[in-house]
Amino acid sequence: MATDKELSEFLESVERRAFKQAIYAVRNEESALDIVQDAMIKLSEKYGDKPKEEIPLLFQRILQNTILDFFRREKVRNTWVSLFSNMVTRTDGNDDFDILENFESEEGSQASESSADKVEREQMLTILDAEIQKLPARQREAFLMRYWEDMDVAETASAMGCSEGSVKTHCSRATSALAKSLKALGIQL
Amino acid sequence: MKNTFNHTPLQSSAELEFAYKVRRALDEQVSSLPASTTDRLAAARKLAIARKKPETALYATAPERRLAGVAGSARGGNPFNDSLSWMVRVGIIIPLIVLVVGAFGIYKYEEARRIDELADLDAAVLSDELPLNAYLDHGFDTYLNKHGE
Repeated sequence: MATDKELSEFLESVERRAFKQAIYAVRNEESALDIVQDAMIKLSEKYGDKPKEEIPLLFQRILQNTILDFFRREKVRNTWVSLFSNMVTRTDGNDDFDILENFESEEGSQASESSADKVEREQMLTILDAEIQKLPARQREAFLMRYWEDMDVAETASAMGCSEGSVKTHCSRATSALAKSLKALGIQL
Repeated sequence: MKNTFNHTPLQSSAELEFAYKVRRALDEQVSSLPASTTDRLAAARKLAIARKKPETALYATAPERRLAGVAGSARGGNPFNDSLSWMVRVGIIIPLIVLVVGAFGIYKYEEARRIDELADLDAAVLSDELPLNAYLDHGFDTYLNKHGE
């Protein structure tokens, strides 16, 4: 069984990456933070007594399920919103969410102490972020779990609920798409 | 889960190299998350740890059998209690069997008695000198009433 300290250390090691995974999926910082918090609490409440070796895979599964739950809730909410918005007069919504604009504004807050190289690097990271976000969801999940979370093919397949072959295909396509888009933008990692 | 960057023979080294560069870039990015975000993540982590599922001891659960008069005596554990619980079971089953058999016997006896009574009545009516049709005749009723008076 994982002790409080082990669980805390694990969560600390994974929380930032989990947050990024969530933000890639939901594109909203507040929602991403809520998702990570929910996933952490679910893991701790329901699986806190599991051996520490099982915790990383369980956490990934919970995180992916929590992201899916978020989308399900959003879908239901949007159905009601669109239903009511048809009844009331339409106002100008800000539906056209531009991820690049969003990330540039965030970057602006922390770019004060940067040198030219650092600014360039930050811009590159922002573009990379946006390009990862543009990947199809399944490809992005497979890519991040496999290459960022250090999960092997079997573990990734288990967390995603698909075959190992699918994981390999998703990873390969994601890598290829990402490489192409970065090359097209003239980005050198 | 392993702490190394996993390779599979089928994947090209170029793909892995690229993925490694992306990974490095992503690591660099998460290391510079704003303080407000890291603070919220830390708070979420503490909240999760506070709600951690406690260690559950493994207990074997055994149902307690309790009956009036022998309360608490049927707990398993020693041979005396085991034999007592067996006796308690027999003590319930035997009276139940007796009750069921007795009820069935009474029902059969009552049924036989009723059939006998009806048979006697039928025999008496059929063996009477007066024919049955006489009872349906209104004139005969009038005759009986007058003679009865």
